[in-house]
Amino acid sequence: MARRSRSERLWLRYLILFTWAAFCLVPMLWFLSIGLRPRTEVITAEPIYWPTWSLDAWHMIWRDWPMRAYLINSLMAIAGSVVICVGLAIPAAYSLARYEYRGRDDIGFYILSTRMMAPAIVAIPIFFLFRNLGLLDTVWALMLVYAAINLSITTWIIRSYMLDIPKELEDAARTDGASDLTILWEIIIPACRPGIITAAVIAAIFAINEFLFTLLIASTPAAYTLSVALANFSGGTDGIIYNAIALVAFIAFLPVFLVVLMIQKHLSRGLTMGAVKG
Amino acid sequence: MAAIELQNVVKRYGAFVGVREFSLAIPDEEFLVLLGPSGCGKTTTMRMIAGLEEPTEGRIVIGGEDMTEVDARDRDVAMVFQGYALYPNMTIYDNIRFPLRMRGVPATDHDRLIRRAADMVELGAYLDRKPGALSGGQRQRAALARAIVRQPQAFLMDEPLSNLDAKLRASMRVQIKHLQRELRATTVYVTHDQIEAMTLADRIVVMNQGAVQQVGTPDEIYADPANTFVAGFIGAPPMNLIDGVADGGTFTAPGVTAPCPATLQGKVVLGIRPEDCVVGGGNLTGSVYGVEPTGDMTYLTVNVGTRQVEVKAARDFRAGLDTPLTIGFDPRRTYFFDGATGQRLRHGS
Ligand SMILES: Nc1ncnc2c1ncn2[C@@H]1O[C@H](COP(=O)(O)OP(=O)(O)OP(=O)(O)O)[C@@H](O)[C@H]1O
Ligand SMILES: [Mg+2]
Repeated sequence: MARRSRSERLWLRYLILFTWAAFCLVPMLWFLSIGLRPRTEVITAEPIYWPTWSLDAWHMIWRDWPMRAYLINSLMAIAGSVVICVGLAIPAAYSLARYEYRGRDDIGFYILSTRMMAPAIVAIPIFFLFRNLGLLDTVWALMLVYAAINLSITTWIIRSYMLDIPKELEDAARTDGASDLTILWEIIIPACRPGIITAAVIAAIFAINEFLFTLLIASTPAAYTLSVALANFSGGTDGIIYNAIALVAFIAFLPVFLVVLMIQKHLSRGLTMGAVKG
Repeated sequence: MAAIELQNVVKRYGAFVGVREFSLAIPDEEFLVLLGPSGCGKTTTMRMIAGLEEPTEGRIVIGGEDMTEVDARDRDVAMVFQGYALYPNMTIYDNIRFPLRMRGVPATDHDRLIRRAADMVELGAYLDRKPGALSGGQRQRAALARAIVRQPQAFLMDEPLSNLDAKLRASMRVQIKHLQRELRATTVYVTHDQIEAMTLADRIVVMNQGAVQQVGTPDEIYADPANTFVAGFIGAPPMNLIDGVADGGTFTAPGVTAPCPATLQGKVVLGIRPEDCVVGGGNLTGSVYGVEPTGDMTYLTVNVGTRQVEVKAARDFRAGLDTPLTIGFDPRRTYFFDGATGQRLRHGS
């Protein structure tokens, strides 16, 4: 068999990667192009690939529509839920990874099993729970719900990282005179930082896309996030404003995209390191 | 520094016995080596001294105080781990500093102590690096520096040289011994390398399958092994052990005859060290299996009966394969062990 030359292989590799990148990015760019064209060019018989650029939709969502409030709701709910979630997941994961106690594996499985349940099953109880707590229609409720949904997956991700940390490291810290809390804070958490970052990003992505519970809890626009607000967009007297919807969707997508870009190095290392020792 | 005492220490994992009935007094400033094959319970013993493992039975006394129930962080011993266990996110400087911070040493003393410890192991130039950017030998020295930066009751070292190449191991061995004398530190050192044990130890504890086989100075362990296990573990190559029968003052086995104490009777094991054998003489008859010149001497392997005997021959000894030859030895250099139990049978007893 003839060996392909090095440059030929490289060329092929770039072609494949480029095709894949285009496949992933074109829908996003298409959304952006719809968001940045006048309303008259949205619904046409023939697709318009190069529109008359217009900031109509951009002005519309900020002026006629509570975009700012929704954006703030989204960001608060996401950031708050990630902080709560990771804050609870770290000690839980540590306990599952390190301590021997009765029923540890059952507890571990129970935590994971909350993820397997169809969300609709708990929707009604959660609604009543928050109503009784007087938290309906608040961002606080969203934070708690998102954190609860994400807790299982983040705990398991972080736990798998902690399992990879050699036990000797903790033994060394203990003989050096460190307390359990110091060991967690100064040795374990820094050593599994990629895992914590990975878990946080995954929690944020879940949170930004969450729809069902948000719809349930945010019954008025006071606690609408972008994902729910988007669904309610079409209800106005002006009909469906596709270009504005596309723009909002693009804006909702952007933060996650940027975060992932920034921490890409950690993330890819993180996702593999949990599985393969490295 | 302090003396350490283990009183009837036992460690069981369920039905499996990891360490059985370990009793030993380690005086202050002694360099004690735990020696034994893989899985014999060396690490377990050391971890019990450190407080990382709780003994199933028995007491551990450090510096005259019963420490059996005391947590590792309050025991004040410093341990060097087999895998170095350097904190990966901290620089070497911060690694060495960690025990000082944890033990509440005044911050104003830190820098001086850290640099002194780093200089002792010749690591001063690497203090700003993270462990990942050091070679194996440098990491090893960093781990040592972290242990010696404070003045603990005792040092515990678990196979600290096992990951190094032969040359570095030899030089680190000298360094460790020197450090131990300089710091006058009670040290328990674990290894499965008998050369390391012989060169470093004031006293050696030979262990096998969780049980202490013999405790003694390197010379005692070498010259006066208590059983076939110790005899077969010490020496490079170790003692030849030949199963045979003693009758009326003569030991016989296929291809072997040797005088033995007249009191011996029945199945016994004859032991003779390769360095006490000479080519020629009439105790063993066999043929050459292998000749390995090393420069300063020649390792000779001889087929005798159904087994092989190792001989350290003169440096210019050469012979073709299967050459018949005889091996002799001084009867005063032979050892005899009970054929069934492997216990040493003392001459004249
Ligand atoms: N947590 C545990 N549970 C069950 N058995 C264990 C446990 N820890 C150790 N053991 C067993 O106890 C025995 C002694 O182990 P230990 O680690 O002390 O051996 P070692 O002498 O240090 O060996 P090596 O030279 O390979 O390090 C081994 O047979 C091991 O399998
Ligand atoms: Mg060991």
